[in-house]
Amino acid sequence: MKNQIPFVEVRKVHKWYGKVHAVKGVSFTINQGEIIGLIGDNGAGKSTLIKILAGYHRPDAGEIYIQGERVNIKSPAHARSLGIETVYQEQALVDLMSVTRNFFMGREITTRGGFLDFRKMDAECMNVIRTMGLSISSPKTLVKQLSGGEKQGVAIGRAMYFKAKLVLLDEPTRNLSVKEVQKVLDFIKNLKELGIATIFVSHNIYHVFDVSDRFLVMARGELIKDAQKETTTIEELISAITKH
Amino acid sequence: MLKKSISIPREAIIGSISGALIGIFYATSRGTFLTPGVIQTMLTSAPELGIIALGVTLLMIAGEFDLSVGSCSALAALLAISCFQWGWSPYVALVLALGAGAVMGLVNGVISVKGGIPSFITTLGSMLAWRGLVYVVTMGRVINFNVEKQHPLFYTLLVGNVTVFPAHFFWFFGLMVLAFLFLNRHRFGNHIFATGGNKEAARAMGINVDMVKIACFILVGILAALAGVMRATRIRGFYAQQGDGMELMAIAAAVIGGTSLFGGAGTVIGTFFGTLVITFLEYGLIVSRVSGYWYRVILGSLVVLVVLVDRLWMVRRRS
Repeated sequence: MKNQIPFVEVRKVHKWYGKVHAVKGVSFTINQGEIIGLIGDNGAGKSTLIKILAGYHRPDAGEIYIQGERVNIKSPAHARSLGIETVYQEQALVDLMSVTRNFFMGREITTRGGFLDFRKMDAECMNVIRTMGLSISSPKTLVKQLSGGEKQGVAIGRAMYFKAKLVLLDEPTRNLSVKEVQKVLDFIKNLKELGIATIFVSHNIYHVFDVSDRFLVMARGELIKDAQKETTTIEELISAITKH
Repeated sequence: MLKKSISIPREAIIGSISGALIGIFYATSRGTFLTPGVIQTMLTSAPELGIIALGVTLLMIAGEFDLSVGSCSALAALLAISCFQWGWSPYVALVLALGAGAVMGLVNGVISVKGGIPSFITTLGSMLAWRGLVYVVTMGRVINFNVEKQHPLFYTLLVGNVTVFPAHFFWFFGLMVLAFLFLNRHRFGNHIFATGGNKEAARAMGINVDMVKIACFILVGILAALAGVMRATRIRGFYAQQGDGMELMAIAAAVIGGTSLFGGAGTVIGTFFGTLVITFLEYGLIVSRVSGYWYRVILGSLVVLVVLVDRLWMVRRRS
């Protein structure tokens, strides 16, 4: 495992917003199937870093390598074509559209002339939903009728179906009930079993700690800690966040 | 957990409103409302509004407005008539007018989307500007458009009477079916709903939301141009106020039919019925011998009422 080329390598990435130096020379790697807990206080630069990988922002300096090859991630669409899928709680799904339409949004299965093949899409979508143990009875259900956890499930299922290699989860457990948090953590473990890497961004270190293999701690734009789970404790991580 | 809810499709509600109006006006007009003459008049009048409203519906679902459709239809019609007067074939004139409509839509779209200006403002400006151009060119004069004599086939194909239905009703119906297929069964429709429903989610999934919106603006422009040429052909002439107020009627038709003002929701069939409701009101009041001045009062109240009922319905269903 040690000699394997990492799926993603980030080298000395910087990002400025005007005069604000939001990300200051951050470097790290992510291996296949690894669950990374990205933690830090508000304004630490976590979101900016995620958005750079997701193709929303371009780094002002530094390099990103995917499977050893240097890439210049131009757009969210480009990130997806590289196997990086983002799951934002508010921005993942369209409430007024059905589960199927959301699932295949932007990547519809079509017949000749671009017409939607609902039979195929519904079947594939329900297949994933059942595999994940979600209790959604019909692919025609509107997303606004789903609970927060179910929405996360659909978005994560979508990433699995489209063979993402790295899933970026931004605060996936925010505003969820205890039971639903557990479900979402299970989804993340499912991703690992499929060899999909995850970056799990959260304020709640207790949610992150349970499932993550490794932790990246950010403060004021810098990466201040990169530690395997075995070598650290919750207390140590909390003190790293608060002392900076 | 899935909440159980009885959902009545919006089309059914708006369909029953149109049905009820037919009944009411049949009674108040002592049967005159359903005589062939009145029906034919309504079928002649509805398509021009309806064709524009179809485009407006798609655009509103994508989350944008177009207040310039009336002016756009007038300017495009004026172009077609001018071409015809220069001795060009009316078919070429029609195609050029549709092209002009597309360009006007493109201008609205690019300025709104790329310039980051609310389309309400952009198209308010273009509504005034294009209407102004019509006045500059015509100096307010009425222009004759006697295409029927020289090109009877063109006239018949566009607006002539085919059986009891006028040709442009078939155009309206055909375009409605096409719009339905594109909106509900095609990939592009999925992108329209996604763009209007949650722009960020659509963008994250790789949908080019700017292009989707601009395409809808262009579509609206083309449909407005078509309606404008139809109107001029049908009444055999052009006056500078042609299509004035059409923009708000088209939005009214869409809203009565259940299209959301916030984007992401709406149906083509709803707009079809919305157009019929507006037309029924207009002629139903006339044949019921109610002063025509009441038409706008009632239409205005109906628009607000429909949205209000819809809102209360949603609130109750959520709780």
